[in-house]
Amino acid sequence: MRIIVPIKQVPETSNVKMDPVTGTMIREGVENVVNPLDLYAIETAIRLKEKYGGKIIVISMGPEKAVEAIKEAIAMGCDDGILLSDKKFAGSDTFATSYVLAKAIKQTGDFDLVICGERATDGDTGQVGPGIASFLDLPLSTFTSQILSVENGKITVKRLVEEGYEEIEMMLPAVLTVVKEISDPRLPTLRGKLKAKKMEIPIWDAQKIGAEGQKIGLKGSPTRVVKIFTPKVTREGEKVIVKDEKTLHQAIDKIIDYLIEKELI
Amino acid sequence: MYNKLTQEIIDELIKIVGSNNVIYNNFEALEAYSHDEVAEKHYAHMPEAVVKPSSAEEIAQIMKLANKYKIPVTPRGAGSGLSGGAVPVYGGIVLSVEKMNKILEIDKENLVVVVEPGVVTNEINNAVKEYGLFYAGYPMSVETCYIGGNVAENAGGGRAVKYGVTGRYVLGLEVVTPTGDIVHLGGKVMKDVTGYDLIHLMVGSEGTLGIFTKIYLKLMPLPQAKVDLLVLFHDMDTAIKIVPKIMTFGRIIPTSIEFMDDLSFKAACRYLNEKIPFEEAGAMLLIELDGNNKTELEEQYEIIGNLCMENGAIEVYIADNATTSERIWRIRRNIAEAWKQFSPHQSLEDVVVPISEIPTFIKKVREISEKYDIPIPCYGHAGDGNIHATPIKKPELSMEEWHKRLKELLIDLYMIVKELGGTISGEHGIGHKRKDYLPLVLEPQHIEMMRVIKKALDPNLILNPGKII
Repeated sequence: MRIIVPIKQVPETSNVKMDPVTGTMIREGVENVVNPLDLYAIETAIRLKEKYGGKIIVISMGPEKAVEAIKEAIAMGCDDGILLSDKKFAGSDTFATSYVLAKAIKQTGDFDLVICGERATDGDTGQVGPGIASFLDLPLSTFTSQILSVENGKITVKRLVEEGYEEIEMMLPAVLTVVKEISDPRLPTLRGKLKAKKMEIPIWDAQKIGAEGQKIGLKGSPTRVVKIFTPKVTREGEKVIVKDEKTLHQAIDKIIDYLIEKELI
Repeated sequence: MYNKLTQEIIDELIKIVGSNNVIYNNFEALEAYSHDEVAEKHYAHMPEAVVKPSSAEEIAQIMKLANKYKIPVTPRGAGSGLSGGAVPVYGGIVLSVEKMNKILEIDKENLVVVVEPGVVTNEINNAVKEYGLFYAGYPMSVETCYIGGNVAENAGGGRAVKYGVTGRYVLGLEVVTPTGDIVHLGGKVMKDVTGYDLIHLMVGSEGTLGIFTKIYLKLMPLPQAKVDLLVLFHDMDTAIKIVPKIMTFGRIIPTSIEFMDDLSFKAACRYLNEKIPFEEAGAMLLIELDGNNKTELEEQYEIIGNLCMENGAIEVYIADNATTSERIWRIRRNIAEAWKQFSPHQSLEDVVVPISEIPTFIKKVREISEKYDIPIPCYGHAGDGNIHATPIKKPELSMEEWHKRLKELLIDLYMIVKELGGTISGEHGIGHKRKDYLPLVLEPQHIEMMRVIKKALDPNLILNPGKII
């Protein structure tokens, strides 16, 4: 199996502070990491490779330092990496990014699967995976939670939907975006790190992937950020404070009464 | 031998610190000051009053008052101690330094920071970070504990292998003596042999010899990068044998070398739903390196990683970013929490043995564990031989039986430590939790010297009585 895993390098957000005036993230001194949700895509690809053999290519669009993210994926067990880096890509929204990634994926040759994380923790849109599928005109399963089988040029997967799970069968090649419950990402080993360190990661620019100038960067991006603001939390709730065993039971009764009243149970 | 607080004394305390800063006759508010992080309830004791002074002068007046009426005074930091040091064993006054929480000066020329005792230790690092500096003392409770408590306990922690413990960084102290005098020891000088080293008599004195009101700490250049290695071994012997090799063959001093026995990491990994293949391992080492650039650290982790693989490690994991580093450290940090799921009654011990004796110690602990039928996971700082052996009450055991067995078990445990050339507390202190066991490891003359010093400085024995000796 040939599997492509597009990943993104994002700021490490667990300790990030927001600028209350501009509404943007304070990036100073913030470390960059592989988008945590992409780790599940990487792990899914490695497990498929362990089962069916083949090769995994990681691609990432970003500045030169995004090579660190690609090397981390290789240290985990991916085979090859490609960095898509070009000044012309700067300012791309999810539409233009999907276009660039789709172009690059085509350039890598034949493949069976593209596996993406559910979304990136910085932009939080979840649009790039589906975007790639549409530019490549391939079947897509979003929120994939389990791969049931891969045989006879078809893949059967379980995906998370609002009411529960859905099972779908798709022709290969196909695109998946995966959720956390699909796997537990492994940690990079010393061997993996040493392998990744030695590896040269090729850098592909717009010309190499044959991207049209009008479709990339700001020019190719229909999205315009008009305003960034912190939304007010509108959910209202009532606090029931439990101090001891007695109030615990009172609290439980109160919550049950509420659920009955709202016809939720 | 001590007197109880009266309304008259309370009024005098209010005159010193103001009525907002005295808690009296309020059970719920006082209760919070009756214990530290030692979980066992019988180590707690209610204070009669809590006072929250804001200056050395106020503390001096409180001490004079306490001497006049023979009222015990127990100083208290954040209450995150693990030996009962802040527990008012004889009631009386708890003197909380929580109001004295200012960073007074960051001296960039001399690499010194001057702080009040109630500053949360982590705040110091947040404040000096922008100057490219850091304070290297690092107890595991860094986000809650106060620097005053760290100095009083001479706190150790995860970075001690490379950076040593709190005492190394204390250059000067302003201290209120038990009799209510204010004395200044040391200052911003890096060398000082003028007279007895009273600073380091105060450091680790567990609040029995004086109350710190100003602390001068040495700062270091802040390392720019770090990397963690999690190494799985089949057994503890193989794991511990690596420790000196890292320093001799590798010529590297890691920031931390933490170890976990199988009882510890298996509980933590299951609790965290961690899926690395830990079931086949018998011991884990967590090694942290810091330095100024990534390339240098890469070379170092390669050397250490290869050394481990050549010497019987099952696997070496490398974490060089926040995601993976957090994943590795949370195993070590969640051991106590994971075991709490099994049973909330634990006795977190803090023994030290020479590094090479760790495997022998753990084997003997397993024997004790069988003898008393009490699980004792062991984890801690392999780089300095400081082991948190933690007897845990099985849920089916009655509390009475638990206390009975624990008492005998601890004597056995401490005797083993002594035989192996170690001692009973490396960083948590004696407090009143381990007081009765002190004669097991200290010579009578040693204890007598401490007694004489205590008596000389605190003739009425009113400052934190019932601790250490």
